[in-house]
This record gives sequence, structure tokens and C-alpha cells, in this order.
Amino acid sequence: MPNNEKEISSFMKCLFAGSIEREMVFPHPQMDKEEAESLKLILESLRQFAADNIDAGEIDRNQEIPAEVIAGLAELGLLGMSIPETYGGYGFSATAYNRVFEEIAGIDASIATTFGGHQSIGLKALLLFGTEEQKKRFLPKLASGEWLAGFALTEPGAGSDAACIKTTAVKDEGSGDYILNGNKIWITNGGIAHYFTVFAKTMVGDAEKISAFAVTRDMEGFASGRKEEKLGIRGSSTTELTFDNVRIPAENLIGPLGKGFKVAMEVLNSGRLGLAAGCIGGIKRLTEMSVDYAKNRKQFNTPIAKFEMIEEKISDMIIDTYVLESMVYLTTALIDRGDIDYSVESAICKVYASEAVWRTASEAMQIAGGIGYSPEYPYERALRDARINLIFEGTNEVLRSFIALAGMQEHGEYLKEVGKALQSPLSQLGVLTDFAFSRIRRTVATERLEDVDAGLRQEVGKFEEYARELNIAVEKVLTKHKKDIINQGFILERLANMAIDLYAMAAVISRLDTALKEYGKEKVSRELQIGKAFCEIAWRRIRRNRRQVEHNSDPLHKSIAENAYESEGYDFDLIS
Amino acid sequence: MKIIVCMKQVPVQDSLLKITDDNTWVHEDELNWEINESDNYAMEAALRLKEEHGGEVVLLSMGPDRVKESIKQGLAKGVERALHINNEDFTTRDPFINAKLLAAAIKQESPDLVLTGLQADDTGFGQTGPILAEYLGLPHTSIVMEIEKSNGGIKVKRELEGGWFQSVELPLPALLSIQSGSNQLRYATIKGIMMAKKKEIKSLTLADLGLAEDEVDDSNSSLNFNRIFIPEKTKKAEIFEGDPKEIAAKLADKLKNEAKVF
Ligand SMILES: Cc1cc2nc3c(=O)[nH]c(=O)nc-3n(C[C@H](O)[C@H](O)[C@H](O)COP(=O)(O)OP(=O)(O)OC[C@H]3O[C@@H](n4cnc5c(N)ncnc54)[C@H](O)[C@@H]3O)c2cc1C
Repeated sequence: MPNNEKEISSFMKCLFAGSIEREMVFPHPQMDKEEAESLKLILESLRQFAADNIDAGEIDRNQEIPAEVIAGLAELGLLGMSIPETYGGYGFSATAYNRVFEEIAGIDASIATTFGGHQSIGLKALLLFGTEEQKKRFLPKLASGEWLAGFALTEPGAGSDAACIKTTAVKDEGSGDYILNGNKIWITNGGIAHYFTVFAKTMVGDAEKISAFAVTRDMEGFASGRKEEKLGIRGSSTTELTFDNVRIPAENLIGPLGKGFKVAMEVLNSGRLGLAAGCIGGIKRLTEMSVDYAKNRKQFNTPIAKFEMIEEKISDMIIDTYVLESMVYLTTALIDRGDIDYSVESAICKVYASEAVWRTASEAMQIAGGIGYSPEYPYERALRDARINLIFEGTNEVLRSFIALAGMQEHGEYLKEVGKALQSPLSQLGVLTDFAFSRIRRTVATERLEDVDAGLRQEVGKFEEYARELNIAVEKVLTKHKKDIINQGFILERLANMAIDLYAMAAVISRLDTALKEYGKEKVSRELQIGKAFCEIAWRRIRRNRRQVEHNSDPLHKSIAENAYESEGYDFDLIS
Repeated sequence: MKIIVCMKQVPVQDSLLKITDDNTWVHEDELNWEINESDNYAMEAALRLKEEHGGEVVLLSMGPDRVKESIKQGLAKGVERALHINNEDFTTRDPFINAKLLAAAIKQESPDLVLTGLQADDTGFGQTGPILAEYLGLPHTSIVMEIEKSNGGIKVKRELEGGWFQSVELPLPALLSIQSGSNQLRYATIKGIMMAKKKEIKSLTLADLGLAEDEVDDSNSSLNFNRIFIPEKTKKAEIFEGDPKEIAAKLADKLKNEAKVF
């Protein structure tokens, strides 16, 4: 067992190491009253603006968000919500920002993508790492919406493996400027943003290391390509960016030289929560549509809502929404507390949310039947829009690896010989958060979740049981595979899935417990149904994943895939 | 120019209404509330006048604690301050009594102009504005679409039926009932929302208004709610016979003289 005196950083990292940091997830956070009141008014205003001005179907068909819509959002002040007041914004918390993002995504996914590209990731590096001078120079224009922002990391040869980018920023010794050369692809807001956070290789001593730079469209040698055609989020602008000897003044370096990878990863850690919150907005909207349709569509003389196979789909949507709200807003509150490493938690939220919105879009289409497949109804657009979430801001495969490997980091340090190996290959995965985690002190280490309402005894029992199982599984696989663990994708996926369900259970139990203590059983009875139904699903899934860590047919699957590579696909034929 | 806008909070449009067991009202606890539509237009008209000619817009609303939410929306849109007649302890649904209460509050302010919405989306009486004008002794006109300042008074455009408009001049002070759709409504900006926090919502009690409870509660009302019910569905179909020409003539006659659609 790890040393209990050690300082540990995140709820999930602790959980992997076998201890439950209750204080980090209990009670379920409540928003500051005054901020909540402003937030309500903002949401109301946004809803009215959207009802009058936004037509998601038209945005999709025209592959264009009308300029007045973006201008309207800017006018409302939404483009500077998360920017501090000193720089022309409003300094809202991560929780409030993400709640607004959720609402926008429920209105239109293309607008949400543009909004997130600007504020969740585009300008985030300035907020997190910018100097006072940089903030003063850039943030007011970004807060007012005069400029939009973008985040430029991905390149043709560097997607998931973001650490291997080829764009270079070479220091011109004469002027001290950096000369930027290379190209980026798939850049959200590429055609409309004026400001970009661009990542490039720089020399630090003899080593090539990534640095982050503030680049603006007016710089000579900067160009953006034509707008990409896409399956979904078609109104958002996605383009290539090219840099041909772009001269960047040294004062545009964001964060320390050579620390750009850390900048990128920190930005994405918080950006992923926005994405997850956005998925909640999408799911809520789809659920409303599905409920309405199911109640009104009759077959066999019965509203289809009454068929149990439809009820199952609707209840799944409600459960997913409840679980996601519980997790996402627990995690945003961790950001707002500051100094807590939430990287694994935000990756968990992103994976769960993106898969839930995709599942929901698919089931909503199923409930709608034939009309669901027609572009005259919003279901097929919702399905197309939902799909990107499994791909960008870290694919779900890469994030599952990250969840498992970063989760095991603390553990790996304990198993000395593995520790080192766990770190360096991770950076090849492009997922290593290579910063020194701001650790919070573990005062009381425990393996129990104490003081939870008696009505949740069973759920708490299962949580504790499977938290222990995760810890045991980690020990086993690390002992068995040692540094080769990074190549054990089948196993990593299962550990990640266990972790996802455990975090979801913790968030749900926390929310229910907090509600029970505040309002009593009577008032919380419907929520209890939802939470209990989820915990039942979750622990059974965890149990299956746990079993399959040791008892599985992985070798068969590996062999089948490899044979397919050999024979270039499926090479059997019934008519031979 | 000092303008008072009367604003009522009403159930959100398309609310599912549940009737109480005694069949005299609806269950209010489960409803969501919003600013009455035409009152929003009254507020917009007031804000535009203020922006053009200077002065102040004061929002006046009567209702229980919950109406503060709607008042805050108004403050966030640019209204300077608000008066809230808190009737948490008494209910009135009678436009006569409502107007009496509003008039008492307005008299203390001596405004140049009072704007109300044309009618409330819940009860739909459309009477509070005109009665209020009588209580205040002010000239009044309704279904107002546009307001312009003129020499010593205002000139307004009223909507009549069949696409006709009327232009009316009134001296100030005056009271106008504003029609929905007369302007593009503004949205509360975050800046406005933050500024609204510092604005005053003055709570007024009956004592503040110099009224006694028995003057205003429902027992004193000339209006009785005997039975509230959801419109009953009736099916009535009439099938015309004859050649197309005859049928068309019969149909036209029915539409004109019975259904009175034209
Ligand atoms: C619409 C859109 C908008 C975008 N916006 C931006 C933006 O604003 N800024 C920006 O920088 N980028 C942006 N991207 C890029 C996006 O982040 C990348 O597409 C994504 O990270 C995946 O990279 P890739 O496309 O190169 O896929 P690859 O990395 O080539 O991945 C292909 C497949 O291999 C899998 N895979 C890769 N490595 C592993 C591994 N180690 N283990 C298991 N599986 C693995 C992946 O999961 C995936 O299924 C955007 C992309 C799109 C489509």
C-alpha cells in the first residue's frame, strides 16, 4: 500500500492508489448565491436571444453562423464571461461558464464549437499563463468579441501524438523575434479568429521543446485555408493555418520557453470540461424532443411512450444527464477551488459525456423512427453534430489511456522500477501532464466513504468495494506488466472504464447525500431512483471490467486484428 | 422624463395549468413565471424614450416575492429602479382593486408618463390600464405602437382594426397601454445584469400606500370566480350538399354570418 503520509493530488489519482479523499467530493458543491442569481438572468437572456435569432437548421444547411449571431453573443457579454474584469470581462467561475456553455450547446452545436474554440481553449493559455502585459494587450479585445480566438496544436503528422509537432519557431538572434514556419490543420475558428495560441518546436539549449506563442492574423506570412466540409458542426469554421516566416515578437511567448506542452495540456484539461458540459446541453435538448415525440406518436393505438423498450431509452437519457451533471459540475467546482489536479477527472467527464450524447442522439433518432432520418427534422443533425465529441480535444481512446496511466502514476511512483517508465512513454502518447502536480495534503487517508446518508448504504458499500478492486487490479497489472503496461491497451481500457464508473458513482452519491441532508428523503425520492438505478448499472459494469482484467479473450482479439492486417481485411467467403 | 412602467408577472406561455380542487383558480406552485408579453414592450418603449430624451424609468410590479425575479430582469435591461407592492399576504384578481393599489404607488412618484401593457396574458382583462388612468386622473389611450415627443406632450400611433392606424396627441402626464410587437425587444447583457445588483427594489406595504387590507382583498371585489375550467371540446360538423357553386355560396354565407370570420 502506498505511504499514507504522502501528499497526493487528485481524487481519482488517490482512488487508484487505494484511498478515498472524501473531502474533495463532499458535499456536492453549490454555487455562490449571488453568482447563481446572475447566472439565471444570463441564461434567461440567452434563451430569449436564441429564440429570436438562432436557427440551428439554417446554420447547418448554410454551413455558416450568421455574423449577427456572433455579434449578438458578444453584445450580451458572453464572449468574455470567463475573463477577469480587469481585462474587460466578467470573471465568472468555471462552473458558471460551463453552465452557459451547456445552454449554448443545447441551442446549436456549431455555435458552441465556435464559442468553445474561442473561450474554452483559444484564449485559455493567456488566462492561465499569460504575462500581465500580454493579458492587457490581448484580453480586452477578446472579451468584447472584437477578436475571436483559436487554439492551434494539431498538424498533419501530429494529432493524438501532439508532442511530435513539426512547426518550428526559430529565434532570430539579431532581433530576438521568433520566426514561425509550418502548418496546422483542423483549427476551429481558423477562418474567423484574429488571435491564435500556436504551439511550435523551439530550441532550449540543445533540446527541441515545444513552446506556446500568441499569433495574430495581421502578422505577415500568416494564412488560413478554405473552410473544411464536415459531417456535423457544419456552421463552425475549421481550417488549415500556414505560417511562412511569420515573425513573432519575443514578448508573445506564452509561459516559459520549452513549456508549451504543459500549456497545451492544461488548456485542454479545462477545455474538456466545457465539451462535457456542452454534451449535457445536447442530451437535455434531445431528451425533451424524445419525450414529446414519444407521448404524441401513436402506434397499435398506444402512445409509443408506453412501450417499455421506449421507456428504457428515455430513462437512460435521464440517468445519463443526472450522472453527467453530478460529475461535470463537481469537477468545475474543483477548478474553482484552485490548486487541485483535475486532469483525470476532466478526461473522465469528456469520455462519459461524448459517448452519452452520441448514444442519446442515436436513441432519439430511433424513437423518432423514419422521420428521425429526414433532414426536415432535427434528429439527424443532432446525430451528426454529436459525433465530433468522441474525436476532438483528445480522442476517447487516448483519453482512456490517459485516465488509466495518469491514474496509476502515483502508484507507479510507489512501485519504483515502474515509475520512471510510466512517465516518459506517456509523453509519446501526447497525454502526459508533465507539470509538478499541485498537491494537497492528505491528512486523513481512508478507504471508506464515511458519514453518508443511511439510505445510500448499499451504493456506498459497492463504491468502497470496487474502489478497492481498482486498487488491487492496478497492483496486479503493474506487477505483471511493469513498464510494458503502456502497451496493454485492452487492460488500460478496462481500468479506465472502472475509473469512469467509480468517479460517476462518487459524484452521484455525493449529490444525493447532499440533497438528502438538505431536503430530506421525501423531496429527493425521484433523484434517488435515478441515482440508485445508475449505481446498479455502474457497479455491475465495474465488476465485469474487473473480472476481465484477468479473465479475458484479449489474445484472441489481438490475433484476429493482426490476421486482418496481414490479409488486408476480411478474407473469408461463404461461397468458396 | 420620468416614466413608470407597470409590469405583471404571469405564468410562462404554454404552461400546463392544473385547476385547484375548488375549481376557482389554478395551482400556482408548480408554474414557471415570466414578464407579461406586452409589459415587456411597454418597458422597451420606456427605455427608448429615456435613451432619446433623458430621465428615468421606474418599474412597478405587484405580486408575491417571486416577482422580484422578473423585476431583476427589468433592472438588468436598463430600468433605473423598481417599486414592488408585495402582496404575499393578500391576493387580488380584480382589475379595479389592482388599479387602486398601483395608483396609490404611482401617485407618490408623480411621473410624466405611465406605461402599461395592453393586457395580461393570464387573465386577459385588458382593464387595469384604463381604470388606472381614471384613478390617476390622466388622459389615456391604448393599443399604442409608437410614441414620439411633441410640443408639450406626446404623439402616439395606435393600431386600429383591419390594418388601420390612428395618430393621437396627448398632453403630459398621460397613461398609455402598449401593444406587443411594437418594437424589437432588447436582451439583458451581462454588463446590465452586473449593474442591476446595485439598483434599488423598494418594497411597498399596504401601510406605505395608505390602504387598509379590507379595501383591497378579494372579499371586497366586485368580481367572483365561480368556476374555472378548461374549454370543453365540442364536435360539430356540417356537410353541405349540392353542386360546387351552391356549396361555395352556402359556405360563404355561413362563414360570414355564422362564424363571422369576415
Ligand atoms: C472539427 C474538428 C475541429 C478541431 N479543432 C481543433 C482545434 O481547434 N485545434 C486543434 O489543435 N486541433 C483541432 N482538431 C484536431 C483534433 O483534436 C484531432 O483530430 C484529434 O486530436 C485526433 O487527431 P488525428 O485526427 O490526427 O487522429 P489520430 O491521432 O491519427 O488518431 C486516429 C485514431 O487512432 C487512435 N489512436 C491514436 N493514438 C492512439 C493510442 N495511443 N492508443 C489507442 N488509440 C490511438 C485514435 O483514438 C483514433 O481513433 C479538430 C478536429 C476536428 C475534426
